[in-house]
Amino acid sequence: MIRFVNVTKIYPNSQVPALSGINLHIARGEFVFLVGPSGAGKSTLMKLLYREEVPTSGRVIVDGKDIGRMRPQMVPYLRRNIGIIFQDFKLLQERTVYENVAFALECTDVPRREINRRVPAALELVGLRDKARARCVELSGGEQQRVAVARAIVRNPVLVIADEPTGNLDPENSWAIMKLLSDINQMGATVVVATHARSIVDRMKKRVIAIDKGMVVRDEERGTYGYEL
Amino acid sequence: MSFRAWALAVRDSVRSIVRSPVMSLASMATVAVSLLVLAVILLLAVNLEYIATTVEQQVEIAAYLCASDDENPACENREPTEAEKRALVEAVKRIPGVEQVTFVSKDVALQRMKEQLGDRKDILEEYEEEGKNPLRDALEIRVVDPNEVKRVAAQVEKLRGVSEVNYGKEFVDRLLAFTRAVRLGGIGLVMMLLAATVLTLSNTIRLSVYARRREIAIMKLVGATDWYIRRPFIVEGVLLGVVGGLLAMALTGWGYVELVTYVQRNIPFLPMVAPQKILGNLTGGMILLGALLGSTGSIVSMRRFLKV
Repeated sequence: MIRFVNVTKIYPNSQVPALSGINLHIARGEFVFLVGPSGAGKSTLMKLLYREEVPTSGRVIVDGKDIGRMRPQMVPYLRRNIGIIFQDFKLLQERTVYENVAFALECTDVPRREINRRVPAALELVGLRDKARARCVELSGGEQQRVAVARAIVRNPVLVIADEPTGNLDPENSWAIMKLLSDINQMGATVVVATHARSIVDRMKKRVIAIDKGMVVRDEERGTYGYEL
Repeated sequence: MSFRAWALAVRDSVRSIVRSPVMSLASMATVAVSLLVLAVILLLAVNLEYIATTVEQQVEIAAYLCASDDENPACENREPTEAEKRALVEAVKRIPGVEQVTFVSKDVALQRMKEQLGDRKDILEEYEEEGKNPLRDALEIRVVDPNEVKRVAAQVEKLRGVSEVNYGKEFVDRLLAFTRAVRLGGIGLVMMLLAATVLTLSNTIRLSVYARRREIAIMKLVGATDWYIRRPFIVEGVLLGVVGGLLAMALTGWGYVELVTYVQRNIPFLPMVAPQKILGNLTGGMILLGALLGSTGSIVSMRRFLKV
């Protein structure tokens, strides 16, 4: 599903590489935690996955495509197969829950009938069916993140990427979101989660890839968070 | 590209226009002013050219014959006799390059003038009495080749009994030179105005982009194509441009109809292009140009402010 071959990323105006010589393989259907201190390169690695950034050298292969060399016009079509979730939700606050989820389909020219079928299903999955008409500003943080999850999965993506999805949430809501991501993984999507949530990582016993100073320092099946902050 | 996607783009662009009414009005006004100036210059140039060609088609030499009170000393204060006049016509006919010679008596000339004045011919009434006609007998000479006009005119002028020779070529040349100057100066002015218009439009669109930056970021993340993201802004630019163009043409059209009506009433012999012949095309052109300005403004602003 995902393969990094000798990936190095150096941002312009920076001497230190954000990532250096990363080699990784994540198989289809895996659930992976990405851990490491702030500034270790987790976000950069995530951004390479949906081509927000391109590698300075090396190859990033997602779903069989070398996305570093992909033509810019093709990037939207790559992203239609990837669900992306952020710490700050990135929702349209003044719009309703339903509108926010439908938005992802609307702006990729999905027919109305298809939208009417898929949005309620996605909201059902995240448990927000009865809040479809509520505006996002009226929701709690946990509920907002669930809207974001619904938006990420409404297209049945093969890959779901979550960058610190529980960073703004209390433990209970954090756990609920992780449970949701785990469910999505059970349904077949590959899931990559960058996180600082030690207790969750330790309890879920999934693959853990630790990054520090731009390098992979540990990669364990059924791993733990494993170091002190 | 579905109909619904376009409908959404139009909805979004109308929302953007309503959200920043002052900037939107300012851009429409800028478009309107530039296109108005362009339309006025175009109408002026078209009419000058029309006058020039009308006159050019009529280029013939008018040779005025001597009158008893003629100021030209060569006339020796006497009017040619009827026989002399007939001989003069024959003499002119023998000049090489002359196609046709018509003798126009002063009575006929007065009659023609009345016809040209149409409704206002009454101002000539007092000249109709015997001996009060201030006009002179004339020969109207048409030449085969308009380039020969000058030479033929010079030869006619030397004939005895001819007081003065007039021809329109010089006037036509000067008029055409003036038309060219108006066109060149106008194009320079209009270019500057159009550039300013594109900048104003692009700033307005930039505000819309800024107001919707979160939405744009999300669209990019969920896989909207660049064209999908750009579309509402281009529609917005085109709407602003088209409304500006319509505004300009409403003013220009009204003004031109009024002007032509005024000219027909007061300077009836001045030829002008009829409004119905030109305003239709001009309106179409201005609306297209407005749309072009608007889309250019959008594209400029997106190149600068929307990295998609």
